[in-house]
Amino acid sequence: MSSSVAETPIVVARHRENVIVEGEIIRHRRASRLIHWSVAFTFFLALITGMPIWTPIFRWMAALVGGLEVARIIHPYAGVLFFLVSVLQFFHWLGDMHFRADERGSWRPSKLMAYMRYEDTAPEGGKYNPGQKVFFWAVTLGALALLVSGVVMWFPLRFPPIVRELAILLHDITFICFFIGIVFHIYLGTAAEPGTFRSMIRGTVSRPWARLHHPGWLKEIDNKE
Amino acid sequence: MVAQTLEIKSSSASMWGTTTGIRTLPTVSKYIDTSTCIGCKACEAACQEWNDLKRVPTAQDGSYQTLPALDAEFWNLIKFREQDTADGLAWLMRKDQCMHCAEPGCLAACPAPGAIVQYANGIVDVNPEACIGCGYCATGCPFEVPKFHAKTGKMAKCTLCVDRVEVGLEPACIKACPTGCLNFGTKDDMVALGNLRVKQLKDSGFKDAALYDPPGVGGTSVVTVLKFNKPEWYALPADPHVPIGVRVWKQILRPVGVIAAFLSIFAVFGHYTKYGPKEVVDVEEKSHE
Repeated sequence: MSSSVAETPIVVARHRENVIVEGEIIRHRRASRLIHWSVAFTFFLALITGMPIWTPIFRWMAALVGGLEVARIIHPYAGVLFFLVSVLQFFHWLGDMHFRADERGSWRPSKLMAYMRYEDTAPEGGKYNPGQKVFFWAVTLGALALLVSGVVMWFPLRFPPIVRELAILLHDITFICFFIGIVFHIYLGTAAEPGTFRSMIRGTVSRPWARLHHPGWLKEIDNKE
Repeated sequence: MVAQTLEIKSSSASMWGTTTGIRTLPTVSKYIDTSTCIGCKACEAACQEWNDLKRVPTAQDGSYQTLPALDAEFWNLIKFREQDTADGLAWLMRKDQCMHCAEPGCLAACPAPGAIVQYANGIVDVNPEACIGCGYCATGCPFEVPKFHAKTGKMAKCTLCVDRVEVGLEPACIKACPTGCLNFGTKDDMVALGNLRVKQLKDSGFKDAALYDPPGVGGTSVVTVLKFNKPEWYALPADPHVPIGVRVWKQILRPVGVIAAFLSIFAVFGHYTKYGPKEVVDVEEKSHE
């Protein structure tokens, strides 16, 4: 295949993933990264416009968008956008997110805690480990719960009071879980696991990174090449 | 704009109001005697005039009622009900408006600092400058009073004519009433008047007459004399409370959630301190080359 553009890792990473180019492994092609950052951006837009409405402790966040009235106007639209890109994300990653037979039960808190203690008890796995799959499904369900409850809260007077109350509680509980999940997601993707953030920016990881975090995935790639 | 001469007892999404405790103000209250209301709607007209509200097209729903429910531009509505009683048909009329609860659910539910205030005299008011039009107050209110104004994007409701009360005038609806079924004064005086009237009614044969001042919301600054102790006959909730969902949300879920959010951030710092980063080791790769 001849091309005028050199086949450097960053160029190949535009369209292909799970391949090795010049010693770098392409983990996330451009579409994957764009989807991820669309979800992240809309999530944070909804977060900084929603948290000041949640409690005045976070009222300073409203200043970032020009005040609480502006936050109130932006929030529902940011939320709908977040849901739409979450749907896109769901179908984009769904194929990689089925739990394998040897991963059943790995969503249990004890297993997730063992992972956080860097105890190597998890099965070799594929491209994504069970924790990532748990997060994927939690985010998908969470986005759905936030949308459904959010629509009720957006148009409160169209719904009976009991539905509104339940929606408010669902929206709050889901958000609290979401917030905690995102804190750990960002931590694991940056400070806790060096080399991971690059897979969402440049799209590539090193062989040692892949061997440490996703040995099964590295074997699949090596076998293919 | 909030009334400038009144101190604020409590304010939405705020730790406290602006009361100094130096001055004290008696709680004021409306008095409504449904047994002497003739349904003339003078109070409706007076409310529209004083508050410069637009003329709302009436809606015919088979009764003499002007509109099916309160509206963002119609804050005072006589509710007409035809009720079968043990002594035959009763034609019931009750002036409906904001009840000005002592423990207002709207204020508890409101997320915008200072958008709903309760003055030192008990009047509950919406401050359009701070209102963000989210409608949470409607969920907090057990009387379905606050309404969304589509044009302004704000919530609106009866102010108990705070702009009149703060300068020593009675509310417009009270001033307009031709039968004396409406009255205005301190809460204590209005409750005394209500109890007197209830006694009169009982003496005249209305054995289950009662004064409606629901304790579930701490009492209201609208006391209503009911000829029959069946609030639902008058389109009133029998035992109104701030909805349980709103209380759980604001009093439990919100503080727990804020603490959990901060704890999760502390947890990752703690984790990094204890376990540090999961460093990529390059040993095998080097032996490979």
